Amino acid sequence: MKKLLIGIITYLVFLLLYFIQADFFSWFTIAKVSPNLFVMLILFLGLFASGPFAMIMGLITGLSLDLIIGKTIGVCAIMLCLVGIIAGYIDKNFSKNSKLTILIMVAVVTFIYEVGLYLFNVIIFEMPIELKPFFKILIIEIIYNSIITIIFYKLITKVGYKIESYFKQKNILTRYF
Amino acid sequence: MFGKKHSNVIGTIITIIILILLVILTNIDIKNLSYAESLTSSIIRPVQNGFAMLKNKVTGNKQFFTDLDTLRKENEELTKENSELETKLRELEIIKAENTTLQEYMSLTDKYKDFKTIPANVIDRDVSNYSSTLLLNVGKDDGVKENMTVIADKGLVGHVISVTNNTAKVQVIVDSSSSVSALISTSNESIICKGSVENDSTLKATYIDTSAELLTGDSVVTSGLGGIYPKGITIGTIKQVVDKSNITDRYAIVETSVDFSKLYTVLVINN
Repeated sequence: MKKLLIGIITYLVFLLLYFIQADFFSWFTIAKVSPNLFVMLILFLGLFASGPFAMIMGLITGLSLDLIIGKTIGVCAIMLCLVGIIAGYIDKNFSKNSKLTILIMVAVVTFIYEVGLYLFNVIIFEMPIELKPFFKILIIEIIYNSIITIIFYKLITKVGYKIESYFKQKNILTRYF
Repeated sequence: MFGKKHSNVIGTIITIIILILLVILTNIDIKNLSYAESLTSSIIRPVQNGFAMLKNKVTGNKQFFTDLDTLRKENEELTKENSELETKLRELEIIKAENTTLQEYMSLTDKYKDFKTIPANVIDRDVSNYSSTLLLNVGKDDGVKENMTVIADKGLVGHVISVTNNTAKVQVIVDSSSSVSALISTSNESIICKGSVENDSTLKATYIDTSAELLTGDSVVTSGLGGIYPKGITIGTIKQVVDKSNITDRYAIVETSVDFSKLYTVLVINN
């Protein structure tokens, strides 16, 4: 029940992030490049909640993005779902207690998401392959996402550990008893 | 413990400052320094006023000794008047905005009177860095269908890619996967204008005939080929011709006549 409630709250946070992304970060850009708040949301869900939960939320939020403004249904959904899976895998294998580790995770996940999205666009919509401008945008986006993570690191970890206590309570119990 | 917490806060503040500086420096036109001018002026003016008042006081200016009650009453009346005027101003601004929108619709309809059109407003934009789509506030209920052409007062915007009962999604011509069959209006040479990842205000014109002569400033219009866009709608003007060692590889940069970042009113052509 609590997980469902967290899911609903996450979706509301996603909607809030959508409005921030569409209305604020459309002009608050670095060299006309805006950050990707959705990737960060799903990554933190994977790190602090669980991989499967992040995967499901990635699928739902990605589908919503596709429906709202996407050119086709499924591209964002698949990529955000993948971000959820990767975040779950990272959580199992790496420690998230250091700011630097989280920054590297943000950079890696942003890279994978954007490269995947670009490849989908090249294959489905026959987008021309322009590697130089693509990597320029990608690097700026990674930097921007990292800056936002640094700014909101405290808030993210505080909320994150609270969510973690709901999701990983059972695991801890089985480990010790 | 306190030191670490303190340094974390300072670190966050420094990051925010760096972010704001990055955003400003990468977006602002350096030539435009009126902001700095007004900022300096707004800092200096109150201090200057203070000094002037002090000077007047010292030199025995009797304005300071006027009846305080009269001043208070006057102040109340002026405040009331000011709030009334502000309300009126707000009402006028709303009327002005409505008038501007209606005028835009009128001028658009006049310009494209050969076409049967549906007026629409842009209500949302793509949040991705690699693609460019718009969401309009008209849909199936208003007669909008897929593949209908969307235009603005200065030229071509794009075409409808999907439609719901109340909204329509438009792929803009500067979208990286968009391509439009076009003509150079002066020479009637046909070209293909493609969107690019890099820029949201220019198109790359390719498939230029080897014998074609392109000049900067030539206007580019739709050719009518391809089955989506009608013939003769302005796309933009040639900004630059890029020559290559192999003449078949040469291309031109076309600057779109529509400013997509400031696009709010459009027309959907439905015939």
